[in-house]
Amino acid sequence: MFKTNPYLRLAAVSLCAFLLTFGCSRPPQTFKQIPAGKEFSGFLSSYANLKLSPRFEGQVLTFAQPDAEKNLRRYVAIIVDPVETYITSDADQAKIDENARVSAVEYFRAALVQGVSDAFPVVYEKGPLVLRLRAALVGVDAGSEVTPEEGVAPEAAVKRALNINKVAVEMELIDSQTNEQIAAMVDRANLGAGAEAASLRTPREEKFRKAREAFDEWASRVRQFLDSESEIAGADADRVDKSYLPYNGR
Amino acid sequence: MGRTGVTWLALLGAAAGVLVRGDTPLEPFPAYADSDICARLMVGPITDARTQCSRSTYKDGAEGVLVRLRDNLVLSVNKQKFLQERVGDFVSVTGEVKEKNGRIKVDSIKSIDLGSIPSGSVNKMLDVRQYKVTGEDAKIFEKIRHELAMLPYFSDYDYISFAFLGGEVILSGWTVRDINRGDAEHAAKSVKGVEHVTNNIDVLPLGSMDMTIRANTRLKLQRFLSRYFWGSGSDIKIIVKNGKTILLGQVTTKEDSDVAFIQANSVPGAFKVFNLLRVTGKGK
Repeated sequence: MFKTNPYLRLAAVSLCAFLLTFGCSRPPQTFKQIPAGKEFSGFLSSYANLKLSPRFEGQVLTFAQPDAEKNLRRYVAIIVDPVETYITSDADQAKIDENARVSAVEYFRAALVQGVSDAFPVVYEKGPLVLRLRAALVGVDAGSEVTPEEGVAPEAAVKRALNINKVAVEMELIDSQTNEQIAAMVDRANLGAGAEAASLRTPREEKFRKAREAFDEWASRVRQFLDSESEIAGADADRVDKSYLPYNGR
Repeated sequence: MGRTGVTWLALLGAAAGVLVRGDTPLEPFPAYADSDICARLMVGPITDARTQCSRSTYKDGAEGVLVRLRDNLVLSVNKQKFLQERVGDFVSVTGEVKEKNGRIKVDSIKSIDLGSIPSGSVNKMLDVRQYKVTGEDAKIFEKIRHELAMLPYFSDYDYISFAFLGGEVILSGWTVRDINRGDAEHAAKSVKGVEHVTNNIDVLPLGSMDMTIRANTRLKLQRFLSRYFWGSGSDIKIIVKNGKTILLGQVTTKEDSDVAFIQANSVPGAFKVFNLLRVTGKGK
């Protein structure tokens, strides 16, 4: 039949190709691994301009575009990308629990949105005056085994927590149209010490609560960074002051 | 049902109608017929400059509104024809006021003189006869102005107006960021001598069309009037709402003001430009 009907033969070949490509392949990798021996994960578009910031406790490297035409003050809205995950270079990939990972990155993204949205309203389309906030949890490892919570479907249950003991946050703000780096931050403050991330909606255990607090604190530090870079100082402050005159007069 | 029954039904219907319409009686009240732009921009005493602003912006296509003199409540009217030929005038109005929505369904309206309005029925903040900011009030006014100028997230696309008298502040204007609304109120409240703040700052929508107009207007103005733009800000503020652009701030010459207007008008998508730039006449 296949020999006589070329259409059927084409359909059979296409089906085989489809099955080979999608049917037999492994699920897509949802996390990346820090290359061995590297200082940074490679997530940021550039690490070249990062400098140790005196404004923060702990090891925090920051960069803010000094060019007045490209600095943070030129932007008014923000797109918050899904948070990415980088596991340690010696972590066992097979032990990274996807449900725990998703719970952690979704919680952290929500904390970032909460942290920045009144200063930079969150939008969903790229365009002029719009920044993109990219963030990654770097240095994640497999944590302890977890007894699945009651009432959670088996496929959504967290079986093993994420160890965030040595996690750092890498974050950058890029122009949503040109992808140029406008600001960046690598926060290595050890906020996740003693914390494990599992289900973060209603964390019952202390180590899970600690993880939640750590994510909140990292998000709050991102906001502090934006605030500090938005302050007006020096000669600019004098000019801003002089130029603001209400219309109603006195 | 006899004639008496019909009359009673009609009376009951009328009474129910009054109840449904709300608690605001249809008594005439004094108001100022303004344009929506000037009502938000020139909050404070109704001076000649404000009257001029009201008339010119209304003529250029701004929406007409009524400002209730008792409490500075800005009301959108159901039919613009009621305000034709009256914007810039004091008026006596009757109609159904929906305070929550800031709307009025006008029944009647007539122009009146300010002199015929008893000063007791006009908020002193709006009454040019009573509004005098001197002495300690002048110092407080200056402190509020300084605090508002220094808001960290105040951009080229925001403008906040205010009026101050006797411990009371009214904030108005436009901002693209929610934080400026709260921070401005907090900043005004932090000034010693301020007792009460009314916050009427409008948070602008961030639609992609308006964002594009904002960015392109700034780009054009900066190209032709670069001396008014510097590191952290600019002397020219660009307010964009639903395709309408308002140019605010100050420039040195009338020519610069005209250039700004022409350039803002040439931005694709900007279908109306209101040029309210002030010409200082002073060189930089």
